[in-house]
Formats: sequence, structure tokens, C-alpha cells
Amino acid sequence: MQSDATWEPLSICAGGVSMLVGAAVMGLWLSEPAALAAQFPMMFVMQFNTSICFVLSGLSLALMHSAYSRWSALLSGVVVAFAVAILIQHFLKTDLGIDRLLITPFMQSGTAPAGRMAANTAFCLILINASILLTLRIGRNSHIRLLFAGLVFMIAASAQIGHLLNATTTQDWLPLSRMSAQTSISFMALSIGLIFSRPEDLGYQRTMMGAFLAAATYLLLVLLTYFEFMRQETLFTEELPASEAGNARSTLIAILLFSGIAYAFLILYALRTAQRQRAAARDLSESQMRFAAIIDTAVDGFITIDDQGKILSVNPACERIFGYKAAEMMSQNVKMLMPEPYRHEHDQYIRNYHRTSRPRIIGIGREVEGRRKDGSTFPLDLSVAKVNLGHQVLYSGIVRDISERKRHERQILEANAELEEFSYRTSHDLRSPIASSIGMIAIVQDMIEDGVSPKDLKPVLERIDKSFRKLDSLIQNIILLTRVKVLEETETPIAVAKVVNDTVERLRYIDTEQKTHIHIDVPSALTIHKKASRFQIIIDNLLSNALKYRDPGEDRPEVRILARKENGEFVLSVVDNGLGIQEQDEQQLFQMFRRFHPQQAYGSGLGLYILKKSAEHLGGSVSFHRRKKGSQFTVTLPDGSRK
Amino acid sequence: MTLNSILTVDDDEGDLFICSYTIRKFDPNIKVLKALNGREALDVLHTTTPDAIILDINMPIMNGFEFLDRYAIEFERHAPVVAMLTSSHLAADRERAMRYNFVKSYFEKPLTPENLRIMASLLDEDEKARGVANSE
Repeated sequence: MQSDATWEPLSICAGGVSMLVGAAVMGLWLSEPAALAAQFPMMFVMQFNTSICFVLSGLSLALMHSAYSRWSALLSGVVVAFAVAILIQHFLKTDLGIDRLLITPFMQSGTAPAGRMAANTAFCLILINASILLTLRIGRNSHIRLLFAGLVFMIAASAQIGHLLNATTTQDWLPLSRMSAQTSISFMALSIGLIFSRPEDLGYQRTMMGAFLAAATYLLLVLLTYFEFMRQETLFTEELPASEAGNARSTLIAILLFSGIAYAFLILYALRTAQRQRAAARDLSESQMRFAAIIDTAVDGFITIDDQGKILSVNPACERIFGYKAAEMMSQNVKMLMPEPYRHEHDQYIRNYHRTSRPRIIGIGREVEGRRKDGSTFPLDLSVAKVNLGHQVLYSGIVRDISERKRHERQILEANAELEEFSYRTSHDLRSPIASSIGMIAIVQDMIEDGVSPKDLKPVLERIDKSFRKLDSLIQNIILLTRVKVLEETETPIAVAKVVNDTVERLRYIDTEQKTHIHIDVPSALTIHKKASRFQIIIDNLLSNALKYRDPGEDRPEVRILARKENGEFVLSVVDNGLGIQEQDEQQLFQMFRRFHPQQAYGSGLGLYILKKSAEHLGGSVSFHRRKKGSQFTVTLPDGSRK
Repeated sequence: MTLNSILTVDDDEGDLFICSYTIRKFDPNIKVLKALNGREALDVLHTTTPDAIILDINMPIMNGFEFLDRYAIEFERHAPVVAMLTSSHLAADRERAMRYNFVKSYFEKPLTPENLRIMASLLDEDEKARGVANSE
């Protein structure tokens, strides 16, 4: 059973009152103060047995919602059994010998046999304790409990009102309410304890139940007053003098009736208002929960700050975006999330805004920079709204980490620029050999018309041939480039030494003088898992460049090929003592259509670009080191063989 | 006056051959100077100023535009006729080249006698304009 901590004390207090009254009466009977009894016989109306029952019932109620509810069941069970026995005595007019069970009363009060509990008292005790037992049995509040407790309350209340009004009618008219003041107080306490604890089990509100009980009690009061009044009238055996407008009795009845109606309406109104407020509060909390759920699950960060920049709230997305825990951000100045120079300018900016009310960002939204806990900065989209709460001005900001978007934008722009460059250069480089050929064919025709001998035509025809070979080579390279980009290929084990040796044999023809010394330093067992054709492209490029751009003036041209596995990476270096690359050209080295030694050999200008793209495609990179004489190109690839 | 000397700037030897053949065919008296890129062309221009320059755009070491920038800044006196000769006709390249006041024409490869005739007449116009300016 879920406990309602705020109202738990109620049943304890109610039980306590009952126990106190019972204990006090017990004390009276036990101390046998004869003088007091003679003077105030009213104090001894409650029998000793009855007082014990009140102590037990009070204790039972107090324990009902606690962990000792088993004791409560026992106590109430005893009381019910005793009270039932009393009732049997009353109805069967017998004596079961329980009246003087524990003590022999030193005096007799009332009309019943000495020490006998009144029947109505026994009846009410049964109702109270039956309610407790029922609650323990079903584990929650019930309508039967409310009904029983309400009945006891009304009986006790009418007895109490009778005492207050000093109206004996009550007791004559309602035999049930012939009850001593102390008994009725105890019953009121017990019944209130039962009525008002745990009303939420039945979906009632305490205020509502209080209002009903008050209204019922008020009606009871009105009724009793009316009957008492009638009785007084008959005592006088004459009616109150009638006036022109009616008699005093009608007036009194009218006042009672109207006040009753007015009271009832007020209670109804209060109830309606309470209900409506409750519904409104529920709607509000529901909508708050909905919003909270949206904000908590949002991808964007939500931050609210006060007019000094102090962070009042953040959502979980902020933790993700900035790397701080929510607790680390709360109550801090929002500057902490900004890098310089925003960090310094923010205070000034807030001051300016307060002075001039001219916003730079509020309601506009713009791109700024954010700072994470680790100190790194990132671009973020920020929109700020001003929230005027009347007593306070807040600023709510929505932040979105756009570093990913920015990165993609940059990549697209780069790819686009590369594509434009590619189309520009191909349009030029593809047409260039064709234009040359057209020009030279025209020259050949011209020479034939001039009667030039076929032997003299030969050099021009050779030029035409060279032009077309250039075109062919360029087209081959473009095809290769497309293949690097689109070819689907699976990884296979590659024996590096074999590939290098085969490639050297195949490309040796480039070195027309056959003077170049080629050193191969590759462990014979070295194997990597890569896409074979791309790996071949890399080796081809490195070797053909080294052979093509040898220094014609060098006495001992050399090419050294080294391959190793280092720190889980495959590293391939090709070192030469050839023409090398000038420092100012280094930046453009891996760009498309760059030719650095056009006089030495024809190149499409795509070779190193293709090399770079191939290495990147295999997840690696290529780097260049200028040597005192010559070049060193190093390709680094992640080692795929460990998979 | 007619064309006396022409500087041809191109990295492609085939194209240089076409130029010199066409020029010789057009007028054997014209002196043909050769440069393989912008830098070599600047070196030549430091020693002499030809009547015309035929300039390629895409060249290694120093391309046509880089050459034009340097030529505009470093030289007070320019060749009367500078003609661009490129393998592909791109509007953006043409616009960029024609922004230099000494660039007079823009041709597509291969060079033809017609191109040379236009250059000759451009030279005539230039001399007439200069003559008028001198007589005033």
C-alpha cells in the first residue's frame, strides 16, 4: 500500500484522542473518587468496559496504516466481538457476565445494569472497528467504510449538538444518540480519522468530503434546532404570538431554511471551483510534461538564461553538444559555452542590450561558435528568444551543432571545385593534341601542294603521331581516374615483393639509357590485404615517375624501393636522385593537371593526383619529402592483413 | 608597316612548329622568336620588343595569365599586338585575357594565315593611332 505521508498523522491523531478519552475514563473508574462521582455523575456515564474499547479502537486506528496493521486487526477483532456480545445481551435481555468483566463498578450510572455498555455505543463501536477490519482486508479505502464512519459521525455529532444545545429531544427522539459527551467526542474523532484518511483510494478530495460532512452536520443542526424549538413550544402549550406578516416560528424557519440553502449553494460553488481548478492544474501539468518530454528528447540544445547571463536550465542535448553535465552548467554564466572573443564580449553585449534594447541576435538567429568542455570550438546555429514573465525577463536559446553540416558543405565545395577544374583542364588538354594534329595535317597538305618530297613529310607525320599518342595517354589516365573512383573491388592478399619486382620489370623500358640502379628492399614474406588493382596503380605511379623524371645529367641515377610494416601500418617509400620538385611547386604537387618537368617527358599531369586518390581510397595517405637531390614519396596504408 | 617580328609562347613543340611554319608561309621575312613558357617569354622580352606576341594559356612553370600579370606590371612598353592562342575557347578565359589593354585578339588553335592577317591589320591600326597621337 502506498502511503500518503502528509495525512498519515490524521489517523494517529484521531486514534490518540480516542485513546486519551478512554484512558482518562479508565483512570476515573480505577481511582474510585466517590466525592467526585457524587458531584459530577455525568463523568461516569461511560462505563469502564467502554473506555477500554475506546483505547483499543484508538490504538487500532492509529496502527491501521502502519507496518503493525496486524495488531490493528487483533484489537479491532476483540472490540467487535465484545460489542456484539453486548448487543446480544441487550436484545435477548440476558446477562452474559461480561459487564463487570474486569472491575466491579463502585457506583451505578444510568438505568442499565451496572457496568453495562449502552447499546448505541456498542453499535457504533462495531461500525468503527468493522470499517478498520474491512480496510485491512481489502487493503484500501472503501465506500462501506465511508458509510459506516459517516453514520457514526452523524450519531456522535447529533449527540454532541444535543449536549451543546442542552436539548434532551435529541436523546428522546433519536435513541441512538443518547450518548455522553466524552463518548461522542471519541466517536467523532474515530469517524473523522476513518473518513479523512486515504480518500484518494476512492478518487475523492478531502475538501469535497469535508464540505459534504459540514453540510450534513449543518442540516442536522438545523433539524435538531427545529425539533427542539417545537418541543419548547408544546411545553408552553401555546403558539408564539402571530404578527401581521406571519408568526415568529415561520420567520425562524425561513431564516434557517434560507441560511441552509445559501450554505448548500456556497458549498456547491466551492466544490465546482475546486474541481475546475483541479482539472486546470492537471491540464497544465500534462502540457508541461508534454513540453518537457519534447525538450528532453530534442536533438537541439535548449538553454534558458536570466538577464545577467546565468544559466537557469539546460536539456540533455546540451550535455551532448557541450560535453558538460547539466549540474556543471546550472547557475554558471553562459559565457562558459563560448570561445573567445565572444566570451569577453558577452557581458558588454548584455549591458549594451539592456541600455539600448537593440538586439544583435535576439529574434534573428545566427551562426556563432561554441566551446566544449574539452576546450574545442565548433560552429553552432543559435536562435534566442526573449521571454517576458512580468516579474523576470528570461532568454531562451536553441543551439544546434552544425560542425557536421559545415564539414559536408566544405567537402561538397571542394569536390565541386575539383570537378570544375577537371572539366576545364580536360576540355583544354583533350582538344590540344587534336588542334595540333589539324594544324599539322593542314601543313602536310600544304607541303604536298608545294611538291615537297615524301621524305621531308615524315617529321611532320611523326609530330602528328606524337600528338595522338599524347591524346591516347591522357584518355587512358582519365579512364584510370574514373576506375579509381567507381570500380568495385574486394580485398585480396597481396605479396608486395612480387608486385614490386614485376612492376620494375614491366616499366624498365622507360629508362631508355638503362643506366638507373634500382634497389628493392622489400621483405619477401610481406603481405597486405588490399584491393589489388588500386595497389598496382600506386606502385605503377611511384615507379614510372621515378624512372621518367631521372636527372639526365646524373652519372649514377638511383631508385630505392622500401616497404615495411611499422606500428600496424604498411609504409612504402620510393626514393630517387632525379629532378625532384621545386619548393614553390610543392603545394600543387598532388593537384590535377600539374606538370613539373614538361621538357623531360610528356605527362598528363594526373599521375600524382591519381596516386593520392588511390591511397585515400585504401584508407591511407601519401606524402612527399624533398631531398637534397631528388624526391621521396611515401605511401602509408592501414594494415588490412590483421583482419 | 608590316609585321617584322613575332614572339610565340607555347609549351607544346608541335604547336610551336605549326606557328613558325604558318608564319614563314605568311611572310618569310618575319622573325620568329620562341619561348616554352611565361618565364622564358619574359626573359626574351627583356632584350627585345617584338611587333606581336602569340600566347598560349595553359603552360607549366608560368602560365599565360601569370605572364600577362607580370608583363603588365614589369614592362612600360608593350608589344603592339598581343594575341591569345588557346586550344579551347572558354568565355571566362577570353574575358579575363581581354581585360589587359595590350591584349588585342583571342584565337583558337591551330594558328591560321587568317589569324596573322588580322594581327597585321591590328598592328596597322595601332600605328595609325600612334601616328595621330604623335602629330597632335
